Amino acid sequence: MRPIAAPGERRLMAKEKERKDDRPVEKTVWRAMYRTMVKIRLFETMAGEYFAAGQIPGFIHLSIGQEGSSVGVCSCLRPDDYVATTHRGHGHMIAKGADVRRMTAELFGKATGYCKGKGGSMHIADFSIGILGANGVVAGGLPLIVGAGLSIKLRRTDQVAVVFFGDGAANRGPVHEAMNLAAIWKLPVLFVIENNQYASTTPQSYSCAIGDLCMRAAAYNMPGYGVDGNDVLAVREATRKAVADARAGEGPSLIENKTYRVRGHFEGDPQKYRDPSEVQRWQAENDPIRRFEEYLRRRGVLTAKKIRRIEEEIRAELDAAVAFAKESPFPRPEEALEDLFA
Amino acid sequence: MSDRVLTASAALAEALIEEMTRDERIFILGEDLTAHAGIFGQFKGIPERFPGRILDTPISETCIAGCGVGAALTGMRPIVDFHFSDFVTCGMDELCNQAAKIRYMFGGQVKLPLVVWCPDGAGLRAAAQHSQSLEAWFVHTPGLKVVVPSEPADVKGLMKASIRDDNPVMFFQHKRLFRREGPVPEDPEFLIPLGRAAVKREGRDVTLFTYGSGYFLCQEAAAELARGGIEAEIVDLRTLKPLDFETVAASLRKTFRAVVVHEACLTGGFGAELVARIQAELFDFLDAPVLRVAAKDVPIPFSPPLEDFVLPRAADVVAAARSVCNR
Amino acid sequence: MAIEIAVPKLGLTMEEAVLVAWKAAPGARVRQEEIVLVLETDKVTFEMPSPGEGLLHPLVAAGSRIAVGEVVGYLAVDEAELARLAAEKPAAAVRLEAAAAARPTAAAATPPAPPSGRIKASPAARAIARAHGLELAGIAGSGPGGRIVRADVLRALEQPRPAPTAPAPAAAAGGPVLTALEEIPITGVRRAIFRNMHASLSTQAQITLHTEAAAEALLRLRQKRKEAGAPVSYNALFVQAIARALRRHPRINASVEGETIRVWREIHVGVAMDFGKGLLVPKVRHADAKTLEEIEAELQRLAEAGRAGRLTLDELSLGTFTLTNLGAWGIDRFTPIVNPPESAILGVGRIEEKPVAVAGEVRIEARTTLSLTFDHRIIDGAAGAAFLQTVCRFVEEPALML
Repeated sequence: MRPIAAPGERRLMAKEKERKDDRPVEKTVWRAMYRTMVKIRLFETMAGEYFAAGQIPGFIHLSIGQEGSSVGVCSCLRPDDYVATTHRGHGHMIAKGADVRRMTAELFGKATGYCKGKGGSMHIADFSIGILGANGVVAGGLPLIVGAGLSIKLRRTDQVAVVFFGDGAANRGPVHEAMNLAAIWKLPVLFVIENNQYASTTPQSYSCAIGDLCMRAAAYNMPGYGVDGNDVLAVREATRKAVADARAGEGPSLIENKTYRVRGHFEGDPQKYRDPSEVQRWQAENDPIRRFEEYLRRRGVLTAKKIRRIEEEIRAELDAAVAFAKESPFPRPEEALEDLFA
Repeated sequence: MSDRVLTASAALAEALIEEMTRDERIFILGEDLTAHAGIFGQFKGIPERFPGRILDTPISETCIAGCGVGAALTGMRPIVDFHFSDFVTCGMDELCNQAAKIRYMFGGQVKLPLVVWCPDGAGLRAAAQHSQSLEAWFVHTPGLKVVVPSEPADVKGLMKASIRDDNPVMFFQHKRLFRREGPVPEDPEFLIPLGRAAVKREGRDVTLFTYGSGYFLCQEAAAELARGGIEAEIVDLRTLKPLDFETVAASLRKTFRAVVVHEACLTGGFGAELVARIQAELFDFLDAPVLRVAAKDVPIPFSPPLEDFVLPRAADVVAAARSVCNR
Repeated sequence: MAIEIAVPKLGLTMEEAVLVAWKAAPGARVRQEEIVLVLETDKVTFEMPSPGEGLLHPLVAAGSRIAVGEVVGYLAVDEAELARLAAEKPAAAVRLEAAAAARPTAAAATPPAPPSGRIKASPAARAIARAHGLELAGIAGSGPGGRIVRADVLRALEQPRPAPTAPAPAAAAGGPVLTALEEIPITGVRRAIFRNMHASLSTQAQITLHTEAAAEALLRLRQKRKEAGAPVSYNALFVQAIARALRRHPRINASVEGETIRVWREIHVGVAMDFGKGLLVPKVRHADAKTLEEIEAELQRLAEAGRAGRLTLDELSLGTFTLTNLGAWGIDRFTPIVNPPESAILGVGRIEEKPVAVAGEVRIEARTTLSLTFDHRIIDGAAGAAFLQTVCRFVEEPALML
């Protein structure tokens, strides 16, 4: 039998310097991962600004501070692997390779957006790169990803299906049905809990009877990994094992990435449920991008100059995306009646 | 090719076998499917013929429904068996928030070829949680197609069309009608396009608009009405969404009087929708108010005299038709 | 003390009404709440209950216009007061003709009450009655509570109603000078035509332009289609010519509604057809979007339905232009009357070989006459002529419109 919720995998909040520097350098991959993390951070910062300025309608949920999880997981995936994401899904989209121009246009409600303005921030998808969509229903992606896993198994390919969900979603009923079904059928599915400590306003410590959600894996006889989600390489390591198992027909795994939601539940959230110092402490001591940056500099993969250039390039890309979104037309009102049926 | 007489159950199995033979992407997912070829024996012959393509699940309706959605999004053409239509409540998010909306909310990026097979209906003394007719819920959800066959040939033709449709289809088949026989075309390309009603009895005095089990009530009622000199036309709607309103209109323009008949309870039922459209679009062709015959607005009770009292009867259809004809 | 009978204000905008009828004779005793008179405003007919009990002393004759609040009569407590009222409220307070009518003897017999209140009729009955210009008032309803249903209207259309006014009795007295061979009530289709034609000429300023068109190409095209096994009628060709010409001259495809000219987006060309029961004009819908074959098929379908008496209201109403062709009757030319609310109609005469001078030579050529009548209030002569010219060109060279 396989290991159950192997506690040895848990490196909760581990500081980089406490770790031995023994991993082999994957220079190109690490640089690309770093670039993606910065891209997510700057994309969401941009989205927050335009939202605050009233140029993005509706409401948006940012994953700033959780880039380690999205990039760490997606760094192990192929374009034909499936990802089901959540209302807090910009990071997963970008990490899986989505086009920020079409994402920005969608956020602005424009006809050139991924969903022609019908979805918005909470419902973006790009089926061409395996993104089965962001889901506005908490835990909505889990039963779907089991279906994708079943589809892979029936079609006999070696794809993997990954679902991201939060500590809040972990308490919903469909999670149980989905994990059980994926486990009994040994489907190539990865359940990735991004435990960002808050379900909307409710702390995870309050809403769940156990502290480490990865322990749930034991109930389904699947490996559970408790990972420091703000250590992108730790996330990558756990995911790599889980993905390898999945591709080999060994069945599903559960990964719990412990991380922290730096922003409110939605932009404009007054956040009366937590102490601002808590947020400041996480940002100061545990920012996944800063941690990775320091690590890469220490290992000689990146220099300050290169980092500056990466940032500049991404800013230029995002400026172009915003310009594209702003210049794009709104959909014609009657387009509301299109795309219902195939 | 000739039409043989088959039961509705056999017509369903034939449709599935033909389609599964034709297209490898089709598979069936649900609870208790292989031991007895479905709890009603409705999948007779399929487990042996298509091992690995008719899958037993745990009792997890939420996940079964979602699993159908996920598989449909990734290249398969699943058929989800809901055991009893009453259990759709357990998969409501997957059906109404996911299946119905995914194509639309993602701007038409993807097709979702999913058939949700729901055995429904009362009359089996199965009481409140195993007897409902819930089609109206799904008619009220844009993005879903809703099919309710009556006769065995309809079951075959509509199931084949539903399987070949690239959209989520809710397929309600009445449990009490599984054993009912009727001629069924042998033609493996016999399809009844979704959104096409059938005039199953011609008449000039009043139209009975119906579907599913209501069709058989109307048949009985029409015979009785004919004895009294009223010739009723019966329009079997077959698909509630998309609705074949052209056939509805053509019939009403001929008879000027209508009764809508369904087994689902009255308030907020499909009859309300149909009557609303008739009065809005065919006002000048009405010679009398349109009446509805439906179950009473209570859950389906267990004891036979109670259940029989709650369900609509042919006599109710006769009375309503006579009333709109003022005879 | 006598009770005043004053006209109430019925609705926000009412200023005056017509006193249609008194429901009690002068001097008769009227009880409180009993209907005492009938008023008609531009919106409603109102049966007014008596404000009290007493002997009726009407001041205003039936048929008079009266202002809101005006006292139209009194209810006297007793005979003495009635006599005093008759003396005190003399003709001076009353309009002259009204005064005469108000005298006890004058209007002794109350006129028959016109239908008042809402008539119960099904929507289908109302629609068909409207299409045939039939009043619902005289029809007995066979539906629940006396509701008039479609069958009742159809019955009424088929069984001629007795003429509303009594036939002249004078003839009987002095020996007949003129006696009717047959008395045909103007009902049903005839009534609709009767009203329409009169309305047409009394509301529109109609003018007719005539022109001749060479019909050679038309004959050739018909011949070719016939040989190809897909014959087409002249009417189909004319409908197409009209529809295509209307697309170029949209202002002809219009109706007047109140103070507005409505130029229609849709082109529905009606074709006058006679099935022996009066003229009917079924419409070829969206004729501009139809091919010649489709127009032909539609005309055949409509003609069949007409012969079988199955034309529906839908097929007979809401046209935008009419074609009337008397060629088959050997008529050369005529001035058709517009079918309102349309604004123009094309009359087509027979096709006949005629000598024509071409480049100094006389040739024999098949020709037909096109006559366009239109409403000069909204279509100027030049605009009408331009349209007719386009039709003419299409008739002469059908290839132009194909």
